[in-house]
Amino acid sequence: MRRKSSFLCLLILVAVSAAVSLAARADETCNSPYMGNLVKGQEDFLYVWTLGVEGLGDGQDKLVTLDVNPKSKNYGKVLNYASVGERGEAHHMGFSDDRRYLWAGGLDSNRIYVFDIAADPAKPKLIKTIADLGEKSGYLGPHTFYALPGRMLIGTLSNTKDKGGVTGLALYNNKGDFIAKYDLPTDHGGDGYGYDIAINPAKNALLTSSFAGWNNYMRDLGDLIKDGEAMKKFGNTMVLWDLKAMRPKQVFNVPGAPLEIRWSLNPGDNWAITATALTSKLWLIKQSKKGGKWEGREVATIGDPSQIPLPVDISIRRDSKGLWVNTFMDGKTRYFDLTDPEHPKQTYEKVTGKQVNMISQSWDGKRVYISSSLLAKWDKGGADNEQFVRGFTWNGKELVPAFEVDFTKEQLGRAHHMKFGSKALKSAFDEDGRSTLARR
Amino acid sequence: MEVLLQWLVENARNKRMNRFASCVPFTLLALCLLIGGGMAWAHESVPAPLLGFIPPAPGTYELQTIMPTPAGEVLDTAGQARPLSDYTRGKITVLGLIYTRCSDAQGCPRAWAAFAELRRALRSNPRLARQTRLVNLSFDPAHDTPGVMMSIAEAAGGRDNSPEWDFLTTASIAKLAPIVDGFGQDLRVSSDLKASASEPLLSHTLKVFLIDREGHIREIYTTAFLIPQVIVNDIKTLLMEGHRG
Repeated sequence: MRRKSSFLCLLILVAVSAAVSLAARADETCNSPYMGNLVKGQEDFLYVWTLGVEGLGDGQDKLVTLDVNPKSKNYGKVLNYASVGERGEAHHMGFSDDRRYLWAGGLDSNRIYVFDIAADPAKPKLIKTIADLGEKSGYLGPHTFYALPGRMLIGTLSNTKDKGGVTGLALYNNKGDFIAKYDLPTDHGGDGYGYDIAINPAKNALLTSSFAGWNNYMRDLGDLIKDGEAMKKFGNTMVLWDLKAMRPKQVFNVPGAPLEIRWSLNPGDNWAITATALTSKLWLIKQSKKGGKWEGREVATIGDPSQIPLPVDISIRRDSKGLWVNTFMDGKTRYFDLTDPEHPKQTYEKVTGKQVNMISQSWDGKRVYISSSLLAKWDKGGADNEQFVRGFTWNGKELVPAFEVDFTKEQLGRAHHMKFGSKALKSAFDEDGRSTLARR
Repeated sequence: MEVLLQWLVENARNKRMNRFASCVPFTLLALCLLIGGGMAWAHESVPAPLLGFIPPAPGTYELQTIMPTPAGEVLDTAGQARPLSDYTRGKITVLGLIYTRCSDAQGCPRAWAAFAELRRALRSNPRLARQTRLVNLSFDPAHDTPGVMMSIAEAAGGRDNSPEWDFLTTASIAKLAPIVDGFGQDLRVSSDLKASASEPLLSHTLKVFLIDREGHIREIYTTAFLIPQVIVNDIKTLLMEGHRG
């Protein structure tokens, strides 16, 4: 009886756990839904993937760690940085599914840098550099790092052949070995361009968006906008994929470079939202109520599109009821009420810098972090070239400045993508930081 | 989960894990009896993840080769040491790393429910059942001895082994570590055998591995995709591939 009770009790545990088994399907607030160890309390660290600037400090791309816990004596200060040995247009990054590792990409170097953030969350360590993306896939410009179980799906921006915008998705296992590639469709209305990745597991749905190739993103912005032919070479599509089969199902015409994609992961919700950089619109991708056809349509305007405010990042609340939008050119941070995602309404705006790019919010939405750099050759010049990370608190009505780190004064570089870290995550892993990647 | 994990860790550190291990199952057994439970009740009460889509038909998609299964030595329920490859080759294998003291709602209990439902689905297709193997490997060798795994095997179906369902453990954490590492299963295992051999500190993300007949991992299911219908389709897809060259 004692022996058999073990199995019965395990089954009972299943039943007891049923009420909470589907919880935590959202993220904090824009990570892969396959990721574990979400930081739902006070984040301790902010990891900032930073572009090196020639003549500034060591000039290399680096992962900077900021202390962002208000209770810490080092609050708002630089704790550490880990340089990667080169300058290659640091851009975005993403956690592995178990949050042990942070993968970061170089849009120019075409390299992927894997940092161990579990051994000592305050001091990430570069443990592997993956340099075979171009050779194995023909893609260039690793952008989005999206965790799948045991794997990393990477959205890229360009290709090694002509450095244009036709590109695809590359799949690596967590050990850093290339597995497969998936071209963005160039038929059925597809332009083959790529940018972001976002998954809704409950719908078996993968969405991709589209930006531009190396020829555009590595070109001086002032020159680029004067080149009519080059300005035609931006993505105008989003693609819905059958995730399980990794097969494109539907192409949406979304003019003006749709960038970040955010799913509402509330149970039963069936929509995602994105912002178009060049046309300054919010677009909704939504499935019909009966679970059939998907449609994409414009649902709101961001600022004055004729002034090209250039919306560059969005951050959705964990309950999907609100959306932050950063516009690079006017340096504004806007808040949209998403209670009705068919009709988003802007309810707040504030100038948060002379140029602003990424925006990240805490799980509870009470803390908001903003960085300054878009691309090395697209950032503003002179006094407008502020390089910073600014922390704010959000009380539902006002963004209140909390701290600022001047990345130029600190000799660090251009501050771009931000991810959260926590001291508590250290205890979830081996005491000696045992790493599969490091031991390979 | 974090609160529970911290509680477990603290209790283990305070040498109180044995009390937890002994009292909780009895509490749950009492709950089981009160509800009039049993295996069938538990199975029917477990909600699978919401399936808001129609899975692609078997054979219409490709399962990528993610990585090879690691080498290692395991113990069967008789305590016999055998290479892990005995359980990862020759048939399509669905393998989950579990431990019997796990009570994380997103962890082993979810895996148990999925395995039980998967077995039921496979039994309805004898040809599929013959070519498939279910494996549960414990990552708690100090507690989950071959005897404990035998008791679970008996409760799960005894000698009625269709499809084959193997319950394995390892002789030590030293034997376990390379297996866990090779699967890429995040897990905290104390390397200090003397200090913690009887009370390993454990934490993990639920992962179930689909392994082809040549021992390659072809799919990894976590909470979001641990759906028996999807797994059965994947098994059929692998069988339709034929033997890899």
